[in-house]
Amino acid sequence: MFEPVLLRNVGVPDGHLLATYRAGGGYQALAKALHEHTPDEIIDLVKNSNLRGRGGAGFPTGMKWSFVPKKAAKPKYLCCNADEGEPGTFKDRIIMERDPHQLVEGMAISAYAIGAETAYVYIRGEYTLAIRRLERAIAEAEAEGYLGKRILGSDFSFVVHIHCGAGAYICGEETAMLDSLEGKRAQPRLKPPFPAVEGLYASPTVINNVETLACVPHIVMRGPNWFRGIGPDKSPGPKLYCVSGQVRKPGLYELPMGIPLRELVEDHAGGPPPGRKIKAVIPGGVSAPLIPALGLDVGMDFDSLAAAGSMLGSAGVIVIDDSTCIVKVATRIIEFFHHESCGKCTPCREGLNWVVKVLRRVETGQGAPGDLEQLKALCNGIFGNTFCALGDGAAMGLRAALAHFEDEFVAHIEEQRCPFNEKHAGRELLGSYG
Amino acid sequence: MVSVTINGQRLDVEAGSTVLQAAERLGIEIPTFCYLKRLPALASCRMCLVEIEGQRRLQPSCATAIIDGMVVRTNTPLIDETRSSMLDMLLANHPLDCPICDKGGECELQDMVMAYGPRESRFRDAKRVFHSKDIRLSPVIIMNVNRCIQCQRCVRMCEEVVGAVALGTVEKGMDTAVTGFEGSLASCDQCGNCVEVCPVGALMSFPYRYKARPWDLAETDTVCPHCGTGCQLTVGARKGEFMRVHSKWEHGVNRETLCVRGRFGLDFVESRDRIKRPMIRRNGALVPVSWDEAGNYLRERLSGVESKAMGGLASPRLPNEMLYQFQKLMRTVFRTNNIDCSSRWSTPFDALGPLVAGFYTRAPLEELIGNDCVLVVGGNVTDENPVTEYLLRDGARRRQTGLLMLSARPSRLDADARAVLRVRPGSEAASLAAVVAGLVAAAGQASLADVFADLGAATDGPAVTPEDGGAHRLAVALMEGKSVTVLVSADLLRSPEARATLQQLNNLLQLLRALGKGPAMQFLFDRANQLGAWDMGVLPAVLPGMRPVVDVAARTTLERAWGAEIPSEPGADFEVMLELCDSGQVGALYIVGSDPLMAYPDREFVKRALGAAELLIVQDSFLTDTAGLADVVLPAAGYGEESGTLTNNEGRAQNVRKFREPAFEARGNLVIFDFVATLRDQVLRPSTQGEIFDEIARLIPSHQGLSQDQLGPDGAFTMAGPPPPAGEFFGPPPTPTAADGLTLITGNCLFHNGYISERSEILNTVADDPYVEMSARDATQLGLSDGDEVVVRSAQGELTAKLKVNRHFPGGLVFVPENYKTLRLNSLMRRREYPCPVEVERAQATFEIATAAGPGL
Repeated sequence: MFEPVLLRNVGVPDGHLLATYRAGGGYQALAKALHEHTPDEIIDLVKNSNLRGRGGAGFPTGMKWSFVPKKAAKPKYLCCNADEGEPGTFKDRIIMERDPHQLVEGMAISAYAIGAETAYVYIRGEYTLAIRRLERAIAEAEAEGYLGKRILGSDFSFVVHIHCGAGAYICGEETAMLDSLEGKRAQPRLKPPFPAVEGLYASPTVINNVETLACVPHIVMRGPNWFRGIGPDKSPGPKLYCVSGQVRKPGLYELPMGIPLRELVEDHAGGPPPGRKIKAVIPGGVSAPLIPALGLDVGMDFDSLAAAGSMLGSAGVIVIDDSTCIVKVATRIIEFFHHESCGKCTPCREGLNWVVKVLRRVETGQGAPGDLEQLKALCNGIFGNTFCALGDGAAMGLRAALAHFEDEFVAHIEEQRCPFNEKHAGRELLGSYG
Repeated sequence: MVSVTINGQRLDVEAGSTVLQAAERLGIEIPTFCYLKRLPALASCRMCLVEIEGQRRLQPSCATAIIDGMVVRTNTPLIDETRSSMLDMLLANHPLDCPICDKGGECELQDMVMAYGPRESRFRDAKRVFHSKDIRLSPVIIMNVNRCIQCQRCVRMCEEVVGAVALGTVEKGMDTAVTGFEGSLASCDQCGNCVEVCPVGALMSFPYRYKARPWDLAETDTVCPHCGTGCQLTVGARKGEFMRVHSKWEHGVNRETLCVRGRFGLDFVESRDRIKRPMIRRNGALVPVSWDEAGNYLRERLSGVESKAMGGLASPRLPNEMLYQFQKLMRTVFRTNNIDCSSRWSTPFDALGPLVAGFYTRAPLEELIGNDCVLVVGGNVTDENPVTEYLLRDGARRRQTGLLMLSARPSRLDADARAVLRVRPGSEAASLAAVVAGLVAAAGQASLADVFADLGAATDGPAVTPEDGGAHRLAVALMEGKSVTVLVSADLLRSPEARATLQQLNNLLQLLRALGKGPAMQFLFDRANQLGAWDMGVLPAVLPGMRPVVDVAARTTLERAWGAEIPSEPGADFEVMLELCDSGQVGALYIVGSDPLMAYPDREFVKRALGAAELLIVQDSFLTDTAGLADVVLPAAGYGEESGTLTNNEGRAQNVRKFREPAFEARGNLVIFDFVATLRDQVLRPSTQGEIFDEIARLIPSHQGLSQDQLGPDGAFTMAGPPPPAGEFFGPPPTPTAADGLTLITGNCLFHNGYISERSEILNTVADDPYVEMSARDATQLGLSDGDEVVVRSAQGELTAKLKVNRHFPGGLVFVPENYKTLRLNSLMRRREYPCPVEVERAQATFEIATAAGPGL
């Protein structure tokens, strides 16, 4: 049985309060970092731990930190990406609601490592409880000297500000988030320059996901080797998996990186409802291409999933059983991306609009011969040509659905109707995302 | 240098160059929509994607810097397919209403689809529609969002180049729409640069709407007649009727930009108040007559005033050849040096001469802005020379040019400046002296002891201390600059202290030169050919080539070339001419293309003086107020009705071209000068524009070697003469008298800069009503608020207009723009008193005021 690391306080009553956090050893890592390590040593610790970003891209965190210029004329910033908008994902929310000090401590250590004195938490506006609890945690930490001037008697000073998002998915894209923080329209920025060199207010900036930052205190306390001992060496650590959809026990699971998808879905989450069979699983939020039932033996880590043609993404695992129409799933997902496209680049803005129109027709039984070819052609026009990963994610998802379940699309067009029983169809599964 | 191979062709380029730039140099075309040379790359349209060896994805060539040894392909099947796919997507929701779109025929989307697009679209769903009726954003801009392809060129142009931030983007994704704040264009300059850069028919010119198809237009490349920036533009006319203006993109100081006056203010050529036939005064009234009759009358009147003084005033908007011929006519036929080219100020040549000879830099403004420090002195460059302002903003934002402002009037450019020194109007000379003193202090005196000893006497006062704030900051910034450019608004010449201001500028420039900052200097004129007018010698003390009249050698050379004598004494400037008129000493006053009754800063006096001239000859294309006083009115060709050359602020000589025949019975200005000379039984040779240009090129050193054929689309630069030996430092300026009350200054506003803008129907539509501008503090003290009708009263008179509270205004300053037809501003002014002391109060009864303001508002 895997002993939870990130979620260990989640079940504890009043886990969100400083007293509880401290009772469980909280803020010892910060003290250790400040008193026993130089910033560079912390970066090395994180590098050696092979921690990879939990936001979706899986970029090595220590390496990201090391890109920040050591000597810069401008202030450096740490931004915490808490704009958890990927459908099927709710891991950061639980950390912030149940154990916000874990994040605060992680931010303080990370800021110390990169030389930032200010952090912004860009948090999804709908997360009202998380916002309240994080605000309270910040206030408590300030009162107790874990934030503010000369923290724990060191020379390190650090403040954390919360910025609430206003509902746009694109703000989860790190450079769009920076524009939004600066008060501009959120649209992804051209790279280079990369945020580490020219980010927030054109100053060196590191952007890390909530879960990533929450890992940092544990790495400081228990060492990089402990961390690397969990899961595959190149993609190690404890991992939060958000399981939703047609399973008996949906929920948030903390397990080692790399556990087989089948074990997660069938053992931990209890498998599909009685009498149903799993048809496909989306392993990492709706940006990740679905994996048909035959492929469930893949390991849930960055590299294994990439090799299997999908991705770990945000580890939002969405289970689809055989009662569900894949065309409907694909339509809802593309509708989501279409709605959330920022509109900056042609293929994402125009291409997804076209795709949605075709998919809606096909789904409602008004498809025409040639529509599938058109969808494939549009995927080709979108994939690889968009400004950021949003459009790519949409195209990849649709491609996977078309590749694995073309027969369902063909049936819709040939029969001029949805062959699935409406009662059991997509709404039940993905209604809130449409 | 780095090397790149594109489609097998190798090229070495400067580090930092983009793939797109390199491809352009190799002549390889890469299609783009969102890319605009002067804007930072956006990389959003995805038309310019290329294959780069070793890169997984296609890369946007506009934003990809070349790495040494990069291998790029732009001609693969994948690229063809991608381009076609992007266009297919853009067309999916595009209304394809090309037959009724003004852009049809010159639409980038159309062209691109023809070149790279799919032959047919498979899109068969309903198109997105934002609105069914086009949206009128402003009097001159109309919008159809359905056609927009989201290249964001308009928004970026508006924000980054023009600095107006009138356009923005709302919503996201497919709902993304360009619009103004709350659907209007509140802070809009109406420059139409958004329309110019729109690749499709999303933003359109309202005045040009549905008027012509591009292929119907006869297009003429010419120069804007409005200010001295001298923008290149193309006039489109249909069957001889003026239709529109657009920029030339690759040429001129302005490239793709223009200001509101240039883009929309050329419709004055269609103004109805053209002088149709010659007129003579008979029984107190002007009556139209034939040219012959007018000639006979004029011959008779001229011989009647032979014994008295003559005088001439010509507009600094006229082309060089006309101005040259005018001074030649005055000097050789009427044998007088009483000639001038400004009705608004006197030009103190003793101070101006050394400044221009020593420092005027005849070079592209873009080069001058490349200097790391640019000081702008006087005026309001945003309103006077908008396109120059765009370049300055670009310098400050993208080239890290340190911008320093020293002026009485605030301008929008202040926001981009590193330091701003707001001075009291009339104390520019004193402020410049303080900067000079500050610079001496900042430089330390060791290495330049000699210079400073001389200068010490000149500044003759305590050194500027850091407490002097603005002047000190400016001095420090100038000291930090490696190379300095000084841009001087001609607005400074309005002041009776203009001589002292020019002298202090001279001191400053000499000092900067001594400090090794190689200063460059240009004037910012608000008239299209002011520099040309000076070069052509339309000044009482100066011969063509800006050589003094008293310079025997120069005079002799010209006399020999012209075969006629030139009076050896300097003449009277316009101010003195008016005094001579007033005292009954002037026989004939010959005014060409100028309206001093509107412009001279003392209406009562100028009216009296013009009335006292025995014979007033006005040669103009418009029936001006001054023409109304004339004894003889000669209808002249207007802008676009004769060809010639204009010299802009940069010293760039450019062709201004004829695009239609003179209206009614108007004749070319040169023809009329001939006609007048003949009345005196003389001939002016040469007499055609081209021949005169050649004579200018032969006789005027700054124009040496120029030939009109060689004035390409970018014109050609005139040359500065050899710099004179370092001059002396001038003495300290007079201490400005402290004024405690409000003082009135005037100048151009964005929409109006003289009698041609007044005649543009479009500019009159877009311009605000005439207004009075003052600081919030003064307004509060007077119990006034924005929009109130106020009376401005001087010792001379009063006027009523709307109050505009400007929070950037310094206390004590009142600004009323000149050149509002309905506002006789000069009736408030008294000559030699500038700025003018005034009182401002709330107008008593709005109803009465509305009547008093007169019709036509």
